[in-house]
Amino acid sequence: MELQDSKTKIVRETFPSETISIIGDLLAGIILSLLILPLESFVVLILMIPALLSLRGNLSGPFIARTSRDLVIGNFSIRSWIENILATYTLSIITAFFIGFFSLILNLFFFKLTILSYQYFFTIPIISIILALSISIPTSTGLNYIVFKKGLNPNNIINPVMTAIDDFSTVLCFFLSIIMLGVP
Amino acid sequence: MGLIAGTLLSSNKEILYTIPIMLLIIPALNSLIGDISTVLVSRLTTHLYIGSLSPKIQKSERLKEDFYGLLITLLLSLGVLVFLGYFIGIISGIEIVNPFLVIIIIIITILLLFLIMFITLFIGAIFLFKRGMDPNNFLIPFLTSLSDFLTPFFLILFIIIFI
Repeated sequence: MELQDSKTKIVRETFPSETISIIGDLLAGIILSLLILPLESFVVLILMIPALLSLRGNLSGPFIARTSRDLVIGNFSIRSWIENILATYTLSIITAFFIGFFSLILNLFFFKLTILSYQYFFTIPIISIILALSISIPTSTGLNYIVFKKGLNPNNIINPVMTAIDDFSTVLCFFLSIIMLGVP
Repeated sequence: MGLIAGTLLSSNKEILYTIPIMLLIIPALNSLIGDISTVLVSRLTTHLYIGSLSPKIQKSERLKEDFYGLLITLLLSLGVLVFLGYFIGIISGIEIVNPFLVIIIIIITILLLFLIMFITLFIGAIFLFKRGMDPNNFLIPFLTSLSDFLTPFFLILFIIIFI
């Protein structure tokens, strides 16, 4: 099939999922430009956002792929799903800690801004990513299950849809954690 | 790379404050170039494995079809992105400074990134495949990091040059 793909077929199959992805990312952009940009600590906060978006993609992407694979090959079980969730959360907390640590180092050496206390560099990424995964994991599992039950291949459908949902929810959770922690 | 991209944005905060529409569309631009490049790597890898693309750095019909197919998708998606981005900008009251110049900067950035990505990923895929490695495993994480860094880099660079 791949061999016969014409440029028209490439456009027809890729463009719709790309449009969904763009909508999700523009919603993330609204939160950034309307809610986070006016904050006093924006200059420090923007350090963490691209890294958190990449982290979310690198963690929930494999989680979605593993769940899809288990459903397709008939290996899906509550036990393997819980193990998958625990691994994803553990990895995300460790990586979020390092994002905080390196942001702090960058701030100390380059920006030297004292507007944000040290503890916020660790609590903001950790809380944001935990909240974002708490939206992403049940949503992607539910979508995976529904798509699979309808006889479609989850590998082809879930990823672009979840990219849109996840990018939006990561920025939203980032904003929520800022509000919860009372960041200026 | 994510943190380097963050540092780049943070050091050019004046641009984000004066052209706030940039912050609205940066996540979508990043995602667009990342998604198109991922599709390219997956397709190149499949072509190499099934033999529809020879593992040599040379032009071929298959490569041209992929190039034009992805370029058309990119341009159509960019049209949607600019239309929706400006529409959202207008209804949410985000200030749009120099709208036509900003659109030109976005188009130049995305086309340049697509060219860089296409050439780098094509050569990379051939190189890795010839050494018995799966290009998907190496190039997808690489391109994600590269696009995370290059998108804000070129946007900021062209804004400094043109505006």
